[in-house]
Amino acid sequence: MSSAILETTSTAATMRRNFWRGVWRVMKRKPSRLVGAVIVLGFTFMGVFGPMFYPEVLPRDTSQLYAPMSAEHWFGTDGQGRDVLAQVITGSRYVLLSALVTAVITVVLGTAIGLFSGFKRGRWDTVLMRLTDMKLTIPGLPLLLVLSTVWSFGSALEMGLLLGLLGWGGVARAVRSQTLSLRERGFIEAARGLGLSTTHIVGKELLPSMAPYIAMNMLIAVTGAVYAQVGLFFLGVLPYEADNWGVMLNLSVFGGGALTTTAALPYMLAPLLAILLLTLGIVLVVDAMDEIFNPRLREE
Amino acid sequence: MKRLAAVVALLGLTAVTAACSGSGTPTNQSSSGGGGGGLFTTIDVNRPGIDASGPANPYNPKGNSFLGYNAMKLAWVKNHLTDPNQFYPGIAESWEIAPDNSAITIKLQPNNKWSDGKPVTAEDVRLSIGIAYTQGSTAFAITPGAAGAAADVEVVDDKTVKVTQDMTNPSSKFARGVLDTFVAPAHIWGSVLPADFWDKLKASRGEGADAEKAREEITALGEKIITFAPEKDVSAGPFILERVNPGEALLVKNKEFYNAANVAPDQVKFLNYTGNEQIWNYLISGKLDHAGFTAAPADVMNRIKQAPGTNIIKGFSPVAVGMAFNQTKKPYDNVHVRRGLAYLIDRAEVTKVASPEGGNAAVTTSGIHQKPAQEWLGAELNSLEPYNPDPAKAEEEFKQAGLQKKDGKWALADGSPWKVTMTAPSGFSDWISAQENIKGQLVEAGVDAEVVTVADYPLYLEEIAAGKYDVGFWLIALGPAPYDIYQRLYGASNGWTNVAGKIKHAEPGKSGNWMGGAEKVEVDGTEINPGELTGKLNSVSAEEAKPIMLQLAKAANQDLPVIQLWDYVNTQFTNTSRFTGFPEQESDLLRLPAGVWIQLGMVKKTP
Repeated sequence: MSSAILETTSTAATMRRNFWRGVWRVMKRKPSRLVGAVIVLGFTFMGVFGPMFYPEVLPRDTSQLYAPMSAEHWFGTDGQGRDVLAQVITGSRYVLLSALVTAVITVVLGTAIGLFSGFKRGRWDTVLMRLTDMKLTIPGLPLLLVLSTVWSFGSALEMGLLLGLLGWGGVARAVRSQTLSLRERGFIEAARGLGLSTTHIVGKELLPSMAPYIAMNMLIAVTGAVYAQVGLFFLGVLPYEADNWGVMLNLSVFGGGALTTTAALPYMLAPLLAILLLTLGIVLVVDAMDEIFNPRLREE
Repeated sequence: MKRLAAVVALLGLTAVTAACSGSGTPTNQSSSGGGGGGLFTTIDVNRPGIDASGPANPYNPKGNSFLGYNAMKLAWVKNHLTDPNQFYPGIAESWEIAPDNSAITIKLQPNNKWSDGKPVTAEDVRLSIGIAYTQGSTAFAITPGAAGAAADVEVVDDKTVKVTQDMTNPSSKFARGVLDTFVAPAHIWGSVLPADFWDKLKASRGEGADAEKAREEITALGEKIITFAPEKDVSAGPFILERVNPGEALLVKNKEFYNAANVAPDQVKFLNYTGNEQIWNYLISGKLDHAGFTAAPADVMNRIKQAPGTNIIKGFSPVAVGMAFNQTKKPYDNVHVRRGLAYLIDRAEVTKVASPEGGNAAVTTSGIHQKPAQEWLGAELNSLEPYNPDPAKAEEEFKQAGLQKKDGKWALADGSPWKVTMTAPSGFSDWISAQENIKGQLVEAGVDAEVVTVADYPLYLEEIAAGKYDVGFWLIALGPAPYDIYQRLYGASNGWTNVAGKIKHAEPGKSGNWMGGAEKVEVDGTEINPGELTGKLNSVSAEEAKPIMLQLAKAANQDLPVIQLWDYVNTQFTNTSRFTGFPEQESDLLRLPAGVWIQLGMVKKTP
């Protein structure tokens, strides 16, 4: 008995080892993927620890309003004479945290509804899918604009929660169709024939086959959430937070004239560059994930 | 420019009351020379977004009536530093104000015609005054007991109208209230007022249910008038609306205008814009012949200055901005806290960051814009405490207020944390920059602070009046009438209302009293009632007003209901490539629309 357990444990450990070895192999094959991973890790580090390197209120120097890029200020300064890079870093926490919350909610809610709907079928499926359809027909941005008049998004969690609740529809639909297709496959039939519980079938058979798809969706949801909230702040409909990337864009264009003259250009470019880098990192990591989870791509 | 819109709207509100003197000084009517013709391109800074479906109706906020161009007033208020009753002629050629301010007799331009060829008559003026009653004008107010309200309107002859003031609660700004009235053509607009309108107006003056009903009916008429859309524009101004599309509004010269011979441009084009950055681009490309004040960062300003023909004219603008406190909230009820904050804030730095081109840092808090302050207070202005940045003094004041300093941070007397929460309307970029800068300054000095924005200016005004904010920005010093200047500090928002010549004080939180200051304050050891003194300014002469102004300036300076931050500068952009003859620096004409410069015959085509 005990030896059997030991054996299973060691098999699991071997499998895990093989998996990470596979991951490493996949990463190594295209160095761009490594770059992507480094970028994503870098942003995570920035969001978690970045703000700790700066005081709560950034120091300002009014003799240097909209200062150009220099060794001291890599991306120049803003209209208050504060370092732009410092604002990008301190502002990353709100942006990334809310994006993460959005992604988690989108994926958890979308997967749960999609799985349940596709697996149960029948009346539940109809009800849940009509609900999803309804949700999908609501245009996101106008709704957010309306909501922003009654809700002030002071905390990243609230922002993420709202964007998440608005974003699960697509994932739910996709997961449902995958479930519908998978549940008719032989291995699920076999599991049913063996009399395994529904929990087992869903948790151990269905979910793992969809994991790569879900994981990729989650990463893409992060970029979607970043665009959505930065866009809202840029339009100026959300409350003012000095170091939010969207507010930075708004102030650089409408206050600093970044699209008219060059003085405020670095101020606009810094948050844009951050968003671009983050997207790039995520796209590269998704590329790697695709290969890690897809055996056909992995075979060489 | 959102901010400016607000400033101008407030200035509009002040256009009420006041004193004697002043008769018309028709200027520049002859100065010939220079040619005519050409297209004058401009923007309306007060109204972003041209509404192609807006009617040619000056009362409609989205209408396509442009003040000074195809919308005319009886006369154009100069906003003189101290005298509210100085005007340039408009529909009126001249006017005579009774020495006791009890009446004004208005003579219309003898040769002025509407663009359809009908003469402008006293009947047009009478109808326009009727309309003014429905719009809540100041001289033509239906509120019982309102200061400076007209008692009677009499058509003397075809070109003469006499308006008398109700002397139970007179105001020195009465003439200004009368002359600052739009004039609409009676043969087009006649139908907007019912036949029994003047009887109804009489009925509204009494007391009781009938009068109340009449007032409601008149106010309801106002709504109808705002939506009135004449089939085509009939104007007595220098231009007529020709066509509008979402990109621009085109006006053509009105050949029937009394001074048409001296109106240089043949056409005027108002360009559409939705944000400041579009105006910057227009200015940089030299497209505009005139644009009112538009906030611009230094680099953009330099580019505009480099555009060929750019001619920036600066002048006085009777508006200042102050950091106002809700004194019902702790610790702002304590004068030492307000003084301490005043010592902590470097106003020069705030102005540099927030409004470098459009403002001058306030020399001190007097409640008056620094230019008229010199006229009103003379040398006494220097005796006011300047509140220069001084952290040591701030610390002393905070200690006197009983605040506690723990680990370098100031806390309330009971040890609970203190955070200065400043609110600003979203889109007022200069106010937000200023508050952000103040926040930085305060945090450095150990006072925690934050900036909160609300959706827009109307909501801001509503919420600040409801007492929802601790600290907010407040426009003050809205001259030139002395009463207007101080009613911003010691008027309805601080508890004092003037009804039927009696000044009453409401408790904080009631009747719009959100500032919640004390009813009596100590100035140089004597107790005064600033609201009552302000009320007196309504009816006294300029000379009599001076000592009262000094007392109020001292009250504002010592009691600090607001910390005066900067005084606005009126910066106008013009371009001399196509037209010349724009007003000089510091000209009082800068406070009037460019359409007035054109109709007075000043603007000429560049040879």
